[in-house]
Amino acid sequence: MNAFLFAGRQAAGVIVATTSVVLTSVIGIAQDRPSPATNGSYKVPRTPDGQPDFQGYWTNLTYTPFERPRALANKPFYTEQEAIEAFKKAVSDSTDQIVHYVNSDFGATPVQTGARPNRRTSLLIDPPDGRVPPLTPAAEKREATRLAAQKARGPLAQTWKDDRGTVWCVFHDRAVPSIVAPYGSNYHIVQSRDWIVMTYEWNTEHRIIPLDGRPHGPAAVRTYAGDARGHWEGDTLVVETTNFSPNRNFFGSEGTFTLVERFTRTADDTIVHTYTVEDASTWTRPWTVELPMHRINGPMLEYACNENNQDGFATLKNARAQEAGTLAPMDAIKRGDAKATITEREEQGAAKVLGGEGQDEKK
Amino acid sequence: MRTATFASIAAAVLFVALSPRVGESQTYTSLRTASGQPDVNGFWQALNTAHWNLEAHMASPGPVLQLGAAHAVPPGQGVVVDGPIPYRPDALAKKKEYAANALREDAEIKCYLPGVPRMMYMPYPVQIVQSDSTILMMSEFASAHRTIHMGSKDSPPADTWMGWSNGRWEGDALVIETRGFMGGTISALDREGAIQVRFLDRAGNYHTDGLRVVERLRRIGPDHLSYQATIEDPNVYTRPWTISMPLYRRLDANMQLGEFKCEEFVSDLVYGKYQRTPDK
Repeated sequence: MNAFLFAGRQAAGVIVATTSVVLTSVIGIAQDRPSPATNGSYKVPRTPDGQPDFQGYWTNLTYTPFERPRALANKPFYTEQEAIEAFKKAVSDSTDQIVHYVNSDFGATPVQTGARPNRRTSLLIDPPDGRVPPLTPAAEKREATRLAAQKARGPLAQTWKDDRGTVWCVFHDRAVPSIVAPYGSNYHIVQSRDWIVMTYEWNTEHRIIPLDGRPHGPAAVRTYAGDARGHWEGDTLVVETTNFSPNRNFFGSEGTFTLVERFTRTADDTIVHTYTVEDASTWTRPWTVELPMHRINGPMLEYACNENNQDGFATLKNARAQEAGTLAPMDAIKRGDAKATITEREEQGAAKVLGGEGQDEKK
Repeated sequence: MRTATFASIAAAVLFVALSPRVGESQTYTSLRTASGQPDVNGFWQALNTAHWNLEAHMASPGPVLQLGAAHAVPPGQGVVVDGPIPYRPDALAKKKEYAANALREDAEIKCYLPGVPRMMYMPYPVQIVQSDSTILMMSEFASAHRTIHMGSKDSPPADTWMGWSNGRWEGDALVIETRGFMGGTISALDREGAIQVRFLDRAGNYHTDGLRVVERLRRIGPDHLSYQATIEDPNVYTRPWTISMPLYRRLDANMQLGEFKCEEFVSDLVYGKYQRTPDK
């Protein structure tokens, strides 16, 4: 499988907020030679304990879509040249988000962080059409019920739980299994003999995986990150994770899926991460994703999400203001018909605090 | 700003080094990792009342009447070696004010990252995973973790809640210098979420962004670490001061850190006034 990945040279610096754009690195990749792994001769480095060494900083940021575009249904692979062209086009087409931050100002867009061209036309590699398989009839019914309940709550956030779609600091829903965040999808891996830890930049999650062969924990204990158990199969780290929280919804599965991942280091600067998810009560068949992880320079800094969660306050306060008619509805703001944006309102509020006028206590 | 010199910290560390360490056996030889470092891997936890109050304190009622004896404060002899904590007079007045408003001001209430050294003596296990270049210390509380950069002399790239930690070995002792701390929430954050300073315990002992901590961890037996932290913050204290305690190994079968995503448990509290009760 690694034959389909490019081995670029090591990405330029990756500390979020300090890196400037190096667009020439895209061109550089085109000139790089194929990965040593393509000829199968790569010798995986070892830790002092003799285990395959995955330590260091890695990113899985990418421009490759998770599911395959319909137009490419029968084309799982680009040619090398097509992959480079698709990468360049994705870089030039990508528009920075305007809510919260301009990511490029922080060196946080994929191309700035070490994303590279991929011959895959989608990260999802099985089923062969590169799409999440259809839901079972029972799951369809469950999803319909859930969506109807969500719709009945209306478009405005009622409680903090409704803010999950934007920034949810409790758990980063894209971390396990990884479905790649738009930025900050970076890892720091540290190993001891009996444990491998993957800390994740977005939301500063840490995923602690025992390697000592212990059984899974009690089924009654279900968690957002699930209960992970790792073991070595040759040079590959295999991680089996169960007991996901029922508060999750992963493509229609409410925490009842099982996850089997394989991490294989195929070059000094590449880990191939594949995973298969299975849930007979949700999908008509298991499905599999392949994510290249590229080495980046550290360090990785703290993402203090809960501590800085202005979004949580803004969403709820503005929802109440919209209910009261003191703030234009979102659709008008989005159309540009209404001048007062959430950002302006928040900045005014912040200016008041900074100016010593005290917090606006208006209901 | 940060007027106290490193020499003053070094002097404080020396002072402590010359003092008897808690339960420390001078004859114990630490186990080694495969690469020959003293082995500090494992699950460790403080067993004391430092999380309530670093200083000696009598038993007292808890802050929430309804919780009665279940959340009352047990007595403690204190863990400050060279106490009382040397507050500047103005800072001591503020400490009393913060303590009186602990339910609003304490980061623990809001599930914010606990910082250093507080993470080490909260009533939650700390897992240490050790490699040659990096030592991770992970708390069950709020999924907080610290990354110790071994051999690094780097300055903090930015201020953070858990600080920037450089580590080194001095014989069998792991010595960690940590600085680059956030002193509280950003000024623009809504009042309901805002905290002004960082508490070191539930009693209102606090620090600001001037904090610098030098910790010293050493195996004193198969199931014990000695832990010391020298705390400097010229905004708050007149001199560096030191806490000392043992950390105990958790021997539970199949011990692992639980997932304690406490933000879920405080969001109704923090966002409550901006929420809408469903079906109204």
